Amino acid sequence: MKDDNTPTAPKRITAKNMTEKEFFYGHKACAGCGGSVAVRLALKVTGEKTFAAFPAGCMAAVGFIYPQMAFRNNAIITTFPGVASMASGISVGAKALGLKGYKTVAFAGDGGTADIGLQALSGMIDRGDDVMYICYDNEAYMNTGIQKSGLTPYGTHTTTTPAGKNFPGSKTQKKNLFEIIAAHDIAYAATASIGYPQDYINKVNKAKQVKGPSFIHVFASCPTGWGSPTHTSIELAKEVVDTGLFFLAEYENGSFKLNKNPKAFKDIPTYLQKQGRFKHLKEEDYKLIEEHRDMKWERMRRNWKHS
Amino acid sequence: MGELRLMKGNEAIAEAAIRYGVDGYFGYPITPQSEVIETLMARKPWEETGMVVVQAESEVAAANMLYGGAACGKKVMTSSSSPGVSLKLEAISYIAGAELPALVVNVVRGGPGLGTIQPAQSDYFQAVKGGGHGDYHLIVFAPNSVQEMADFVEDTYELAIKYRNPAMILSDGIIGQMMEKVELKDFKPRFTDAEIKEKFGSWATTGKTPDRERNIVTSLELQSELQEKHNHKLQAKYQQMRETEVRFESTNTEDAEYLLVAYGSSSRICRKAMELARDKGIKVGLLRPITLFPFPTKQLAELANQVKGMLSVEMSAGQMVEDIRLAVNGKVPVEHFGRYGGIIHSPDEIVNALEKQIIKG
Repeated sequence: MKDDNTPTAPKRITAKNMTEKEFFYGHKACAGCGGSVAVRLALKVTGEKTFAAFPAGCMAAVGFIYPQMAFRNNAIITTFPGVASMASGISVGAKALGLKGYKTVAFAGDGGTADIGLQALSGMIDRGDDVMYICYDNEAYMNTGIQKSGLTPYGTHTTTTPAGKNFPGSKTQKKNLFEIIAAHDIAYAATASIGYPQDYINKVNKAKQVKGPSFIHVFASCPTGWGSPTHTSIELAKEVVDTGLFFLAEYENGSFKLNKNPKAFKDIPTYLQKQGRFKHLKEEDYKLIEEHRDMKWERMRRNWKHS
Repeated sequence: MGELRLMKGNEAIAEAAIRYGVDGYFGYPITPQSEVIETLMARKPWEETGMVVVQAESEVAAANMLYGGAACGKKVMTSSSSPGVSLKLEAISYIAGAELPALVVNVVRGGPGLGTIQPAQSDYFQAVKGGGHGDYHLIVFAPNSVQEMADFVEDTYELAIKYRNPAMILSDGIIGQMMEKVELKDFKPRFTDAEIKEKFGSWATTGKTPDRERNIVTSLELQSELQEKHNHKLQAKYQQMRETEVRFESTNTEDAEYLLVAYGSSSRICRKAMELARDKGIKVGLLRPITLFPFPTKQLAELANQVKGMLSVEMSAGQMVEDIRLAVNGKVPVEHFGRYGGIIHSPDEIVNALEKQIIKG
């Protein structure tokens, strides 16, 4: 939002210097849950002095059930549309109390961010509230049983976009969430994937330095909702970037930058066929998905900084 | 005899909506009612009857889509569960103020707040006292079986049309999730544009023709005298509902010395409790309000001349009991026995409560 809020490059976090401490541990997420990986890694960066806010969703359901409270830091469940607003409240509350060295982090899924939570998020950024917002994107409403969201990609079978003979499942493309957020002239926004954890945690670390709103859109696999083997979660989150169906990028100082610009993309059908939710897709669907990817990358490569 | 099926309550309500000729459904996921929209999406009624099914981006959006569809004279419905219904209330109040027929389904879960996804009856006040802002009432039906989930789509909508007033089916997580045999009604065609003009032409925004004045759909009237007049009209409507639309079911009330009062899931548990009490020689009757608004006030007042006491059995901290007390007006003791937070009563504990709170009390 304001240029003086732009983060300076902090010391790089690696597997060697990352804390052994756990802040989200002992929860009852499904095996292979990408969302819980995203939360666990982010909290390792933001640390004990984190006020974490979660709307009603998977992480609320798996992390807050007494006596299995899985958080070692302060954390709270918010209303579904209100996570960004509550984080704003926590952040100004901490300021009023004179608390130093704390970070307020809002974590929400794709539905809670791109659909019902978008208004609150927009207001939070517009006011310049000191909150880091992390959207873990598993591409559907998983907690309520796999319904389509605004970030569900074309061709996904969900319970509200059931695939059929003449119906490819979800017919819309993913909302352009990252650019919607960047359009607020936010100090720092980034996309990431749990398949590239080093990239992700360092983006969290960068966002931590921002005095004001920051935003990270992290791709997070969901074996339960995707019909994929639980051990492939990290692999799929890597492959989605390598196929160009997701991208790693940053927005700071008013400009976009691609962090990873593959010379050749990996095969899209190979990635899709590993997941039950895409099993029904036909040649023409693959073609459509590929065309949309190429169009997007042509535009990103033309307008954004890249290597 | 109609088609027989084994269905969940949530599935039955979706199927009944298609068969009744609903024009549009607007929904948003929330447990324990997501099967309503899921069933509709899987059934693809747009291919069969032309019914529109939309997944909105929030409950607020879904409820306002309902307002839009209703204003056009279309048969429209939405469904949700407790926290989601709270979000819909502003639009529902507008719909009531603008006097439009529409159907809202609440498959209640325990609260307050995020509460639980288990069944409860703790949204009674919200449903029958208005819920949103302003002086208004919904027509509220409480099904106690999967069959009634299906049947009440038509029953509530016919009244919604008759009174130009939004209606609600107040269900709960048990009825929504459990499977039972259902007899489905035959398909009714959706109203054609000509039928909508003929039936709702006096108020629906169907496109102005030179032969009539504009139809205005609004809940706004800044001139206090006119707003008061509008409210008088609404109140007269609610009064007429109270006089003519009350539905209830009474069992063993003829010789009853004690009365259980319960609706929805609780009424089924009370039926068993009543049997257990009668086996013990206690003459217990059961009154089940089917409409919660309008409430069977008169019937309860009459029974108060006969029985020695009443026990309201609700999966809540005691909401309907207040309306029973108003009806009985102090004639006999009226007590409440509730389980909540997702817990349901056992028949035995209801009998115990009756003995402890009413008979010995």
